Amino acid sequence: MVLFENVNLRYGDGPAILQQVSFTLAPGSFHFIVGASGAGKSSLLRMMYLAQKPTSGRVNLFGQEVDQLKRHDRPLLRRRVGVVFQDFRLLPHLSALDNVALPLRVAGVAENKIRDHVTELLKWVGLAEHVDALPATLSGGQQQRVAIARAVITRPSLLLADEPTGNLDDTIAVRLMYLFGELNKVGTTIVVATHSERLVQQFSHRQLRIEQGNVRLVPQRSEAA
Amino acid sequence: MRLFRSDLPLAGDASARFLPWIIGCMVYLAALAVAAALSADNLAERWHADLAGRFTVELPPSPPSDEKEAKLRNITGFLSTIDGVTAVKLVGDSEKAALLRPWLGGVELPDDIALPDLIVVEAGKAVDLAKVSVELVAIDPAIRVDDHANWNGDLLAFSNSMKILALIVLSLIALAAVSTVIFVTRTGLAIHRRVIEIVHLVGAQDAYIARQFLFHALRLGLAGGAVGASLAAATWLGLQRWLSGGGSGLLPSLALSTADWLAVAAVPVALAVVAMFTAQATVLILLGREP
Repeated sequence: MVLFENVNLRYGDGPAILQQVSFTLAPGSFHFIVGASGAGKSSLLRMMYLAQKPTSGRVNLFGQEVDQLKRHDRPLLRRRVGVVFQDFRLLPHLSALDNVALPLRVAGVAENKIRDHVTELLKWVGLAEHVDALPATLSGGQQQRVAIARAVITRPSLLLADEPTGNLDDTIAVRLMYLFGELNKVGTTIVVATHSERLVQQFSHRQLRIEQGNVRLVPQRSEAA
Repeated sequence: MRLFRSDLPLAGDASARFLPWIIGCMVYLAALAVAAALSADNLAERWHADLAGRFTVELPPSPPSDEKEAKLRNITGFLSTIDGVTAVKLVGDSEKAALLRPWLGGVELPDDIALPDLIVVEAGKAVDLAKVSVELVAIDPAIRVDDHANWNGDLLAFSNSMKILALIVLSLIALAAVSTVIFVTRTGLAIHRRVIEIVHLVGAQDAYIARQFLFHALRLGLAGGAVGASLAAATWLGLQRWLSGGGSGLLPSLALSTADWLAVAAVPVALAVVAMFTAQATVLILLGREP
């Protein structure tokens, strides 16, 4: 599903962010990316959703070599990846419904199929009353749920979440992790970047631990035992 | 409807306010240029048709006399015998006065100003004018035969000049429209860079984004074009009414046919289409340059 091999990343002439990173994420797996703030968690995710090219090394997504992709092919691959951004990145001028519908529209889904589908999903994430609301009128938690709905509306094979619980209280954060767990059970590969050790301890999943630019794979507790 | 919905907030841009006015001004000028060229062409065609198959014999002014009457009878008689000539008509004093009225207005011509005698000859087929001239000069060396070739040539040159001028004006306007749309589109891309990045990240092709700019430019182009074309039509109709009503008889009619009006109406549509494809091409080129 996701293969990184000897990947290095640095921005311009700055210091190396990631060094000789190699790992494989199997389909249907659930991983945390763990590390201190600024460790490179977001950079690692950005490479997974094709917003960042590695300085060197090999990245393979869904069996396709990323550096050999043509510009025209990149969006097709991105449609198989759902992303929940740390800052949500909702389009402020669009309603919750239109924000969630965006991945369907760009994929060319017929308009008459979009509204029912999106409304159902928004209902599922508890936003049935806010379908037509603009992001600015929603709370942080509600905006995050819109962002999650947008990320999963196309039923992506790979779901990436960057600090998804960072702006949430503990109760909602736990509920969100259960939601990711549900998606994982139906076969979605999940990668959640977080700096919250408490969250990582609470949910036993494999970890990609970033320390000083190196990534170490930590098996889940049951595997370690 | 889906074609016209936009995920980018382009309608709120400053360009959405000023571009229609710029396009409107361009369409106004372009539509007037087209109308002028078509009108000149119509005029040339009308005058050419009026003069086709006709030549004029002109005798220098001379006071009335029996000798003059005899000469005129002699000339008209000769002209009537020429093979192909269908009508020979001596232009009377009242008709000559009517011909001069556009230049003189309502002023009566003083009696002491003599006018040349004119004989209009209509021919159903080509007549050897050189031979006719020789025959007429034998009657009176001062006689002049005019087949209006010079006048027709000037008309054709005038009509062609107007067409070329209109083409130059249209080309310049199209160039200005393309430049403006490129500038507006580049600005739009810069303003909405963050939104475009998000739309890209959820899987949009460059063509999807370009399509939004395309329809935005089409909307603005049509809106501005409709205003510009309406104002141009009003201006032209006003000018036409003024010329046909209070204007001098020297000035030509500016009436346009239905086909001409359709050509004028095509100007805003054409400019909107130019704006549309310019916007699309600009977005595709600029996004294609990104890594």
